[in-house]
Order: sequence, then C-alpha cells, then structure tokens
Amino acid sequence: MTATSRRAFVLTALALPLVPRAFAQASVLKIGAPLPLTGALAPEGHKQRRGYEIWADAVNKAGGINVAGTRVKVELVYADYESNTPRAVQATERMITQDRVAAIFGPYGSGAVKASSSVTERYKIPMLAATASSTEVYSQGYKFIFGTLAPNSAVTEPLAEYMRSAVPNLKRMAILSRNDLFPLALGQTMELAAKKAGIEVATLQRFPIGTMDHASALTEMAASKPDWVFVTGYTNDLVLVRRQMHELKFLARVITMLTGPSYKEFTDALGPLAERITSVSWWEPVLPYRGVGPFPTSEEYARAYSVRYNVVPDYGEASSTAIGVALQVAAEKAGSIDPVALRNSLADLDISTFYGQVKFGPSGQIQSQKCPVFQIQNQKRVIISPRDVRQGDLQIIT
Amino acid sequence: MLGQVLLNGLLLGGLYACIAAGFSLVWGVLNVINLLHGTLVVLGGYLAWMAFHFLGLHPIVALPGVALLVGMFGACLQAGLLNRVVGSPVLVTLVITFGLDLLTRNALLLGFGADYRTIRLASTWGTAQLAGLNLPLDRALAASVALTMTAALYLLLRRSWLGRAIIAIRMDRDAAALMGVRVQRTFIAAFALSAALAGAAGAVLGLVFPISPLQSDSYLGIAFTVCVLGGLGSVVGAIAGGVALGLVDSLAGFAFGSENATIISCALLILLLALRPEGLFGRRGYA
Repeated sequence: MTATSRRAFVLTALALPLVPRAFAQASVLKIGAPLPLTGALAPEGHKQRRGYEIWADAVNKAGGINVAGTRVKVELVYADYESNTPRAVQATERMITQDRVAAIFGPYGSGAVKASSSVTERYKIPMLAATASSTEVYSQGYKFIFGTLAPNSAVTEPLAEYMRSAVPNLKRMAILSRNDLFPLALGQTMELAAKKAGIEVATLQRFPIGTMDHASALTEMAASKPDWVFVTGYTNDLVLVRRQMHELKFLARVITMLTGPSYKEFTDALGPLAERITSVSWWEPVLPYRGVGPFPTSEEYARAYSVRYNVVPDYGEASSTAIGVALQVAAEKAGSIDPVALRNSLADLDISTFYGQVKFGPSGQIQSQKCPVFQIQNQKRVIISPRDVRQGDLQIIT
Repeated sequence: MLGQVLLNGLLLGGLYACIAAGFSLVWGVLNVINLLHGTLVVLGGYLAWMAFHFLGLHPIVALPGVALLVGMFGACLQAGLLNRVVGSPVLVTLVITFGLDLLTRNALLLGFGADYRTIRLASTWGTAQLAGLNLPLDRALAASVALTMTAALYLLLRRSWLGRAIIAIRMDRDAAALMGVRVQRTFIAAFALSAALAGAAGAVLGLVFPISPLQSDSYLGIAFTVCVLGGLGSVVGAIAGGVALGLVDSLAGFAFGSENATIISCALLILLLALRPEGLFGRRGYA
C-alpha cells in the first residue's frame, strides 16, 4: 500500500461512522445478531436465535413491517462469536460497517452485551438485548442500548419478600454465586435484598467459572445451617451443585437456583433431585399478557413456538421475540428504519405485548416487568407468586 | 468439618490421578505433550453415556469397552500420524496434537452438540456415614475405580514385558532398540494405553460430572498440573500429584473461598517448581 492510498484508507475508515446512510429508503430492515452458536454458550445461543426467527418469519409472512405506508421486510444477519466475548464485539462492528445493519440484537448475557454496547454506541446503532439483566450494562450512560430483562433487584427483592412471608421462621440464608458478571451481580443483589427483608446472610461464596467441584463451598455453607440456600450460575453449574448437595446430604428448607430451573435441560439432568427447587423467571407461558405484535397473547406465543420447535419456550426465548416486537412497533411509530429514529422511537415506547408491558427506563432497561417465582413440582414449573397468577403453593423441602 | 473437607479432597484427588496417569505416560515415554488428552477423556465420557443411554449399561460395566475403543482410536493415531514425528522438536508434536484436538473436539460438538449430557442412574448408592463424615458412595466408587486403574498401570509397567519395554525406551531408546525392543510398536502400545486410560477416566467421571466437549480444557489443565506436581514419568507421582491437587483445591477452597482455590493451587505449583523442579516423585524411567 502506498503512503497516499494508506492515508486514503485511514481517512475512509475514520469517516465511516459519519457517512450518511440510506436507511430511510431501504425496503429491508437489516438486523445484526451476533450469537454464541458454538462453544460453552451454544445451547443458549440457539434458543435466542429461535426467538428471533419466529418473530422475523411471522412479520415477513404478514408482508413485513408497515413503515410510513411501505412494507419493509426483516432480514436477520447472523454471526457465530463462538462464546468468545471479544469476537462478539468484532462481529458487532463488522455487521455495522460491512453489512450495514440498522439495529443489533445483542449477544447472549450481560458480559458480552456490555462489551458490544460500546461499539453500537459509537456508531449510533440501537442495540436491543434480550438476555442481559445486570444493571452494570445499562448504567454506562449509553443512549443506544435497550434491554427486555428487568434488573436483578426486580428479581431478588420480591423473592426475598415472598420467602419471608411464605416460610415460617426463615432466618438465615447462604448464597453461592458463579464468579461471572451476571451470576455474581445477582448473588450480591440477593444479599442486599435479604438484608432488607430481615434475613441474615450467613455466607456468600463465589466459585470460579469452570469449577468441577463445589464440595468445599458446600461444606462451609452447610456448617452455617441455613434455612434458605440461594445459588446462581448457569445450568451446568447448578446441576453439579445440586448433585453435590445431595451427595453431602446438605439440604435446606428452601433451595433457590437461578437461572437453570427455567430450562428443561435442568429437570432432565437432575430428575427427582430437581423437585421443590424454586427459581424466578422473567416470563412464563401461563402469564395472562396480551398486546400488539404477531403473537397476541403469551399462550398463543407459547403454542406457536411449541408447534414450530417442539419445545415450550422459556423466558430467554420469549425475551428474544419481545425485542423483535419492540423494534417492529418502534419502526412503525417512527415511520422510518433510520437507526437514530428507531432509537428515539424505542426510548418513547410503551406497549403491551405477549411478553407483558414493554417500556424502557432512562437507562434503556425495561421498567415494567413483574417476575414470577416458581417451584419445580412433579417435574413441572409451578408458579407460586405473585398471587394473581399463582398455580400452587410453596412446598418446603425439609 | 475439616475432616469432611479432607475427605472431599481425597475423593477428588483419586479422579485427578486417573486423568493424569495416561498423560504422564505419553509425555514421559514418547516425549509427546498430548494436547488431545482432555478430549480423549471427554470421548470416553460420551461413549459411556451412549452405552448407558442406548444399552442401559452402568458406566463401570461399560468401562472396559470404552477403554478398548478409545485405546484403539489412540493406537490408530499413533500408528498413522504421531509415530512419524516422535523425536521431532516438541513444537511439532504440540502442533499436531493441538490440531487433532481441534478436529476431535469439533467432531464431538457436531455429533453431540454443546449441551451437557448427564448419566442419571435410576438408583444411586446414596451416602454412607463414616465417623460423622458423609461419604458419597458413587463418588467413592468412581475414585476407587480410578485409583485401581492407575495402580493397574503401575503393575503393568513393573511386571509385564510391555511395561519393561516402555521403561527401557524411556531410559534409552537406542539401547532398547539394540536389545530387541520394537520401538515403533511400543510407542503405539504406550499411546493406546494412555488413550484407553483417558477413555476409562471419562467413563468414571461421567458418574460424577456432566459431559460436554467443552470440559476437555479443564481435564487437560488438571493433567498438566498433576504431572508437574507429582513429577513426570511416574505413576506414583500421578497418584501423589492428583491427591495433592485434590487436597489443595479442597482445603484452599475451604480456607480462602472457592474463587481463590485455583490461585492457591497455582502458587503452590510455582513454589514447588522453584524448590523441587522434578516434582514430588519425578525420576528417570517410568513406573
């Protein structure tokens, strides 16, 4: 490369974010979706993709999104970031600069979303995150990030209050958290919520990512004789922890685990050991929500999903569809698919959907969500709180 | 409570020793750092899972078959590929085993997906009370089978003709060849033995841990640490290293929290390398 052409290349690269883009006239709404389709998070990545696909196909089947009288089809551009966060960031940037997407559906989990959000912010492209609930993602002062999972405190505070009222003489709890952005933040928020509800936190243990043995942490937790054990991590961690609790004959009156019990794989792997484990979900198919978008109610969404994929959707999949619905309505209201117009429309959004009310707070994180508490009873998820959607009562373990 | 922590560490150590014994054998005899080892353990886990899932076989019953299959896979690799590069600079064998690891791991990912599989026995043996301590019997069974296999490797190396041939090559390849040892064939046998042990370890671990292609890095890391800790070229070293790592993990996790257990283990490893670079039981010759 000569000095002149090198200079031209550098100038072009620097000027790229400033180039006005012809989004307003486009007949296709291109959305970038970096996903962990291989590697440790592959199961979650594939679920997230199914959530996007069912929305995009429903929209395209209906002729597309009505943007100022023009029917605009949706095109999802996927990239596999191999469960490797730096690659998620690279993929996000590549989609914006090469594929010229108008919006990004964020990667999986708070860590990767937070890392990629600096790119979308720089290029002024709205990013909708379906699976990032940690407030750290949204507290960066960014204007182009939106998330459909309520903050961790919206999970832990009602949970602590509920347990305090439903379990007589609940005094002590022990917390075990995976040392990772979301699970650890959840564990720490739980500690605060417990203290607020007057529950003593006897111990808060952390375990590193990839831990194969939890015996020492569990032995120490057992020694504190907690009434309530609260464990955060991903499915594999929680399966291992529950198995080892059984091996060490360590039980408590209540065992709560997040987020594994929401997934079928958890009950499949644990069988009887999954019984009576409680958890919190951001969404459940039995919730009585209805509203705009291709799926009028939670029930209809769950049915359509089950018919297509032969599995009942969990909150991650529903949230992935919900960000599609949010973007669709935002485009309709804005009458444009220009990224900045979409961003402004998303910021003002207040709609009812199959996923519940979608209204983003000033930080971009959803403000309106009520998270149901459920317990595994006879291998099924049974909602035990809040009262208006309750399907059964809490069963104490010991 | 300390007793329980020590017991947990010992049980874990038995499993660690089994993961590392085969790795140590290949490193010690062939001078090949087999980066494929962790994936061979995972392969054994999947074969045991398939035997359980499709044939209803308990992993311990399926163990000989699993060991045989993984051993044969290892023999093919050694005969077809690795024998050509034994004696080459270490970087060559590292690159080849790294490539083989990538291929095998991704084949497993394609075949089984990244989802975790678990062997969920219809009836577990439960937990025994031993002097006030909880002894999980399935885990104890896994650890004892693992240690028995490691001990069997020790006896094989000490008592059999093949074992003596392996040790002879380890001590002096040229002299062994002059004494009539068929070096290439012995290499194949040593690698097959190592792979069989890795496969068997996978079957045993399947009793305790979920199985996923992504576990192979953890297993390889454990094998490395145990070998360096116990000393390269010694079955006794693998057992000692495994038990030491299990105990350190368990005690450090208990005293300083699980999140610091790996840091403490690594710090001790560095200390040991500085003070006793040959490891706890390292010596020339294998067994």
